[in-house]
Amino acid sequence: MLSCCICLGYINASANSNPSSDTTALSTKEQALAFLDKQTDLTASNFWPNVHPVFFLQNLRKNIENPLSIYEGRSTNFCGYAALSYLPLHDDPLGYLRFMLEIYKNGKAVYGKEYFEPSREIKQAAGTLSFKGELDIRPADQLWFMLLADHFKGYLNFFDKHYNPGDENKTWAAVNFAKFNRMVRNLFNYKVESIGSDLVRPGLRDPVEYLSERLQTGNIALFVNNLDLYKKNHTQLKFAVPTHFVILLNITEIDDDTVAITYWDYGGKTLQRVSVSFLKKIIFGISHITPKKGHA
Amino acid sequence: MGYPILPPKKAMHNNRNYIVSLCLLLLFSSCVSRKVFSTKYYYENEQTLTGIEQSFKTLYAQKPFSLGFSDLSFNYISIEIITDSIKYIYEFQINEPRFQDTLHKYNLPAEGITNLVNQMRSIHCLWINNLDFYTNNQKRSLVFMSIHPVAIHIPFAPEKYYILTFYSQPQYFDSEGRLLERRRLKKLRKINDEVFRRINDKVCYTISERFR
Repeated sequence: MLSCCICLGYINASANSNPSSDTTALSTKEQALAFLDKQTDLTASNFWPNVHPVFFLQNLRKNIENPLSIYEGRSTNFCGYAALSYLPLHDDPLGYLRFMLEIYKNGKAVYGKEYFEPSREIKQAAGTLSFKGELDIRPADQLWFMLLADHFKGYLNFFDKHYNPGDENKTWAAVNFAKFNRMVRNLFNYKVESIGSDLVRPGLRDPVEYLSERLQTGNIALFVNNLDLYKKNHTQLKFAVPTHFVILLNITEIDDDTVAITYWDYGGKTLQRVSVSFLKKIIFGISHITPKKGHA
Repeated sequence: MGYPILPPKKAMHNNRNYIVSLCLLLLFSSCVSRKVFSTKYYYENEQTLTGIEQSFKTLYAQKPFSLGFSDLSFNYISIEIITDSIKYIYEFQINEPRFQDTLHKYNLPAEGITNLVNQMRSIHCLWINNLDFYTNNQKRSLVFMSIHPVAIHIPFAPEKYYILTFYSQPQYFDSEGRLLERRRLKKLRKINDEVFRRINDKVCYTISERFR
């Protein structure tokens, strides 16, 4: 039975993202919006009792029209899932939409190489998260983040593999660097070249040059120490570990020691001036993500 | 001599009881003192705190921003300037001319923000911003303020911050004074995953390890 599911998954996957040619599926915002316009008969899903179809479609439309607005919620551990969402929302919004509608209607679906059949707890909880800021009114994003957290497991999730209310803020939803890269490869079929780790920094001599060069050819996700990025010098006892994923959008040298970085996180773009030494200090992982264009 | 001689096992048992009692006493007194501190602190500084809240609301209405100090000596200002398309984050030394230049560049009310910085510094207010929350799918906002209270610092323990939230409308509380989501719903309203308690109908507090 299990093998049947997996086989079925791969058949659907090939229809969805065409892995036989090993090319990353791409589509446009216009194609996605045209597809969304046709979803006039979407009825309430038996699988997702707390996700209203009207709000679900409104949320999907917002994500397609303004991909930067996807928001991980306040005090959750969804930043990794939100960061990787940047990729399909910009490069293949139609593939993302097809998957979301499939899982809403049927309670199971395939995305890339992954077959999703979420647990009963997730289906009940999606749409009920509250006190998370704008995520409260984005039921499709709740569904998407919880689905990914439920499906992908890394060593950080070892002691908390099953969802209980409130786990969205805990290690159940945590994402380590290798898990992030695995999710990007398996879901969206990108080529991912990464340096760094969960504990040791990449040790780049010139991070500005390294990042600038790679931004020319693809997307960059950074795994950073959030405590340093936002909290600064309030505590003496600080653990130098990365806890946050951002998408780097631009990096510009201001002078010999200062750069302006523009990145996406928390539903919007931020421009921040930082010193090069500070940049070296906060970055633990760099993923250079490029679409595959060749044939297998 | 002056000390009764106890069998070694019994003496050890007595010591253990003493240590456990002392720990419980310390824990209890720290809980009580924090609660007392929180309301007392608010009423002792009410005029300054509400002054900061009102100034921030007025200035925020002109141009959205968040403001704080990035160090505990209150010499470095961190400002987030929020526009429709992007958020700018800058950090300055308190008397650095670039701070004023930046406020002018983004058409922020420079004099009002400078006064706000001084008010915040005077009572060790580390951070102030505007937070959105949702009730019945309706967007509302509150003013979030965090203070670094010197009185509740415990050596080698993580920093604790005294957080105040100011609402525009009266809120609902349970019999223990905990902030509720709605009157008829007994669900606690959490902000940054923290339970808040009543100071008055529109102001709540918590003690948190996170300042924002």
